Amino acid sequence: MSATATSPASKGLDASNGKIQAPGRADIPENKKHITQRTPGDWVIDIIIWALVAFVIVSIIYPLWFVIIASVSNQTLVNNGQVLVLPKGFSWYGYEQIFQDSRIWTGYRNTILYAVVGTLLNLVITLPAAFALSRSEFRGRRLIMLFFTITMFVNGGLIPTYLLYKQVGLIDSWLVFIIPCAVNVYNLIIARSFFETSIPEELHDAAQIDGLGYFSYFVRIVLPLSSAIVAVIGLYYLVQHWNDFFTGLIYINTYEKQPLQMVLRDILLANSAFAGGSGSTAGAGYGQELADQIKYGVIIASTLPLLVIYPFIQKYFNKGVMIGAIKG
Amino acid sequence: MSAEAQGARADARAKREAQKAKDKRAAELQKQYGHRKLGFKQTFKRYWQLWAMALPAVIFVAIFNYGPMYGIQLAFREFDFTKGLTGGEWVGFKYFKQFFDSPLFGTLMINTVRISLWTLVMGFIFPIILALLINQIHSSKVKGFVQTITYLPHFISTVVVVSMINLFLKPDVGVLTRALGVIGIHSDNFMGDPNLFTPIYWISEVWQHVGWNSIIYLAALSSVDTALYEAAKIDGAGRLQLIRYVDIPAILPTCGVLLILNMGGVLNVGFEKVFLMQNTLNIDASEVISTYTYKIGLLQSQFSYSTAIGLFNMLINFAFLIIANQVSRKVSNSGIF
Amino acid sequence: MRNIRFGEGPSFSRKGLKTAIAATLAASTLVSVAACGGNDTATTEDGKPVLNIAVAKHSLTKKMSQMKWVSDLEKECGCVIKWQEVSSDWDQKKQAWFAAGNVPDMILKGVNMTDMATYGSLFEDLSDDLDKMPNVKEMFEQVPTAKKIVTESDGKIHILPSVKKGWPTTVSHLYINQKWLDAVGMKMPTTWDELYDVLVAFKEKDPNGNGKADEVPFDFHSPGTGGFGDYQPHLLLGSLGLTLSSNSGTGYFVDDNKVQNFFIDERFKEVIEFLNKCWSAGLINKEAFTHDYSTAQSFARGEGDTAKVGVTWGWTASDRFGAQLADQYEPVGPLKAKADQTEPVVGEYRKDSLAYNNIALAISAKTKNKEAALKVANAFYGEDMSIELLWGDLGTDTEKTGDHSYKVLPPADSSKDSSTWKWTETLADDSPSWIREDDEIEYPADLIEVQEDEKPMQSAFDAVDTKNDIMPAFLQLSADDLKTIQLNNTTILNTTMSKFSTWVTKGGVDKEWDAYVNTLKKANIEQNIEIYQKAYDDYMKS
Repeated sequence: MSATATSPASKGLDASNGKIQAPGRADIPENKKHITQRTPGDWVIDIIIWALVAFVIVSIIYPLWFVIIASVSNQTLVNNGQVLVLPKGFSWYGYEQIFQDSRIWTGYRNTILYAVVGTLLNLVITLPAAFALSRSEFRGRRLIMLFFTITMFVNGGLIPTYLLYKQVGLIDSWLVFIIPCAVNVYNLIIARSFFETSIPEELHDAAQIDGLGYFSYFVRIVLPLSSAIVAVIGLYYLVQHWNDFFTGLIYINTYEKQPLQMVLRDILLANSAFAGGSGSTAGAGYGQELADQIKYGVIIASTLPLLVIYPFIQKYFNKGVMIGAIKG
Repeated sequence: MSAEAQGARADARAKREAQKAKDKRAAELQKQYGHRKLGFKQTFKRYWQLWAMALPAVIFVAIFNYGPMYGIQLAFREFDFTKGLTGGEWVGFKYFKQFFDSPLFGTLMINTVRISLWTLVMGFIFPIILALLINQIHSSKVKGFVQTITYLPHFISTVVVVSMINLFLKPDVGVLTRALGVIGIHSDNFMGDPNLFTPIYWISEVWQHVGWNSIIYLAALSSVDTALYEAAKIDGAGRLQLIRYVDIPAILPTCGVLLILNMGGVLNVGFEKVFLMQNTLNIDASEVISTYTYKIGLLQSQFSYSTAIGLFNMLINFAFLIIANQVSRKVSNSGIF
Repeated sequence: MRNIRFGEGPSFSRKGLKTAIAATLAASTLVSVAACGGNDTATTEDGKPVLNIAVAKHSLTKKMSQMKWVSDLEKECGCVIKWQEVSSDWDQKKQAWFAAGNVPDMILKGVNMTDMATYGSLFEDLSDDLDKMPNVKEMFEQVPTAKKIVTESDGKIHILPSVKKGWPTTVSHLYINQKWLDAVGMKMPTTWDELYDVLVAFKEKDPNGNGKADEVPFDFHSPGTGGFGDYQPHLLLGSLGLTLSSNSGTGYFVDDNKVQNFFIDERFKEVIEFLNKCWSAGLINKEAFTHDYSTAQSFARGEGDTAKVGVTWGWTASDRFGAQLADQYEPVGPLKAKADQTEPVVGEYRKDSLAYNNIALAISAKTKNKEAALKVANAFYGEDMSIELLWGDLGTDTEKTGDHSYKVLPPADSSKDSSTWKWTETLADDSPSWIREDDEIEYPADLIEVQEDEKPMQSAFDAVDTKNDIMPAFLQLSADDLKTIQLNNTTILNTTMSKFSTWVTKGGVDKEWDAYVNTLKKANIEQNIEIYQKAYDDYMKS
């Protein structure tokens, strides 16, 4: 194994800008492999698999569909359980309310900015650390891991955190969305475990023989082979930024800096403030009904952009085949 | 690639050649004498790059995670605004005692652990199954479709998920109430039955997050060498055997890490969802630590008490994580730390 | 986006990394320059004082800058106001600000006496500044209650109140479907037994005439796990002569100057027994304990002009049942528990909490522009400005019809009702404002309706011993006492609310009652009563 592993790998490195070829593997159409020998057992398994897939699709797609039809239906009918398959009492009211609110565009802009810049920083910080900690020769790595892991459980609480942010000038600054959460330990552990188990050690041996330091080894060999995990971690971070409203809620005072989720939350909360409210705020029933509709529209407004991202990330899941080529 | 970069590359290569020879010698030496403990200077020289790569993360965590940790002493002090955060009177374990002595303590613990264990175990198993299932789909279009569909519910806000649960489980007219009626499951009011609270909670959790949580396994599965499948097939392996001997081993390390991490969340039951699903009929089964803390803590600025409960929570969780980690190290010689 | 694509092998050279970092830095400087506009400056370049005012406003409310009275306000104080508009999760935000000692110059509608118990030192004591706020001073002289509810035990005043006019005695009114009543040929019920019979008839005789047994005779929205709220069945306690007023959601009431808790009162048991009887006969909505306010609200709107609900509580008929069905409903008068009872029926009495509030305004102790802040505070309580704060701009939402007379105009957007409209247009209830007693006001439609709907209950309000049986809305409690009460309540309500719903739906109150009372006593219900008693005595003395 080691003989076949080292030489093609190092050759591959020199030959093509660090990209390792996977000759003739990735281009086998996946479904061809199974045509040859189909036993009755395979058929049964196929049927079971398709039945399961169908079940999953139905049980997930219906509620999603429901969100869509509910967002354009009359809420009285929705709340009474009469909206089932098609919208009833059709109106765009919810979306009109959401999109005529000029704040939402600022919200989108802010969120995209925070998410993109934030994710970038996250990856730049997390991935090298994860790699370093995946190296068994790195003495002290267990200690550092412990150091990281503790923070998953222990935190100082809201007020000391607020005071710290205030001290370093993060209050009401957009950087508060980016800097404090630069490392998510959970993501770091996942990335580390991937580097540990999915990158063959022979590659490192080969890299050493080629005289690569850890930096170059990481950037030129490990990263290109890890597109799947980079994509996943990137997605995790991106979504974390995307969904973050708490930071905006607590640390931002200027409305123009609020992310999308805060804007949407504001639009959304228009109803709950009245619910069972105290005497003085009682009675704003009509507003209530309309605001309920917004609740569903908000989901669509905040999720649609993410729908675009996923296929983009999915693409990277098929690249992992390269590793195999080296191992083989 | 620019000319400049190419120049740099050539330079680097020359340097590398020289270094290579050196390293080879060093490696040979090392082989000869075994793994002797290296001196600090040598260690540094060899591994400084690893340190440099880990350092930024360490610094960020030290500042932003460890920085505010002094606030934990609030659990042992009386919160007194005029004296500053840590200036209040030292009261020792008063607030811990208050929590343990609370008539609700037993109920809270039982509810929390019951809800979280179910969610934890099911939330761990189903994403694995889904990932293996998706991996069995050959048409890449269908595969992409299923993946996208299953991951979408993750983005639905808790408020809406809970209102959908309420609507779908409405007595008599709800979609699920009717569907369950067909297969013989009846209840006057699903949401009002304390015994059904936990199942409704974990099933909806699984529904919402199964796709999202399977992504990591799909990523791991995508790194499986296709040649392995070929080889296994030549050996006469059927599809189930392929799953068992190729797919599952490929995701096992990830499973292990996630399981350990999950164990560190035994007392974590998300506040918002439980709170929204709570009603006076199911409260006996649905009051958990986080909702209790919310009710006494946030509403009335009882910082000391809620910090104490939080700290207790952390300690239990951490203990579980350490146990899980040690077990994992014993069994598979791998762990988080 | 390009820079994220680490995975693409060759593109991620060190150069790529550098570009990425450079891009990050460039972006960061750009935005920070754009976004940081000197938040702490006390004056503008031309020397005008700058006031940072945070307002906890309703999320329906439009931007502060779009309200006309705001520019009048700036003119009057000769200052520039920078608004921090918070319309969600105010409580969380507030906690962080306070604990960090970081408050804006002024806060509107967001601080209460409880906050002052802990964080009073953050705010300016206004008791010695009244001369600079003549409007406020005048208000305190003419409306002693307004002063009393904001004055702390040591005489300090950290918060300014709001004083309204035209609000009803209570929020929750019981309605019955008159059309159904006619359809089943019955009279308006006056006792629980009559009510029961009516409900049975509603259930069985298809009063909405659609041929389906889809009528829900009796409905309410799910009681909270933290106590009762508006429009909920504990209101039936009034039938037994128990006066509910403020703090009744958690069970406390006053009888002959003695604070008590109805959760351990036999009369509460009677209410449960009656409700259980209704429940067992299928008269109460199956979902009553699980559907929230918004769902319950929708349900009562029925389908088209087919009503679904017979009897329920609401703010006004048109709010509760929608414009289309409102005409079918009539408010119910006092209901006796038993036909032969001597105890008079009383109505829930919350006049003080509806007319006054003590959360309107507070000024930071550290403000650099105290003079300007006091000017602004004073301006709020001007006669015209108060009307504008409560109902909207003069000219568009309100009209000045004479020296001391005003008219609240119907909503400019005819699809909105008048109570939603005021929340859209201005800060509305609880804003710093003083509606003068001698102002003549043509009220908006919702207030007129509620005043009208309350008439049948008038005898029950008259029956209330307002001197000796009312729990005041603005009791003052020390921070420690509050903590104790809250802590005990969490445990107490956990038991009571769960038992209440179980007993109503499954019965068993008779058997379990004694054990239940003991449990509550162990959970310190009596300690809470004592604390309230002390606060009540202090309040009555002052």
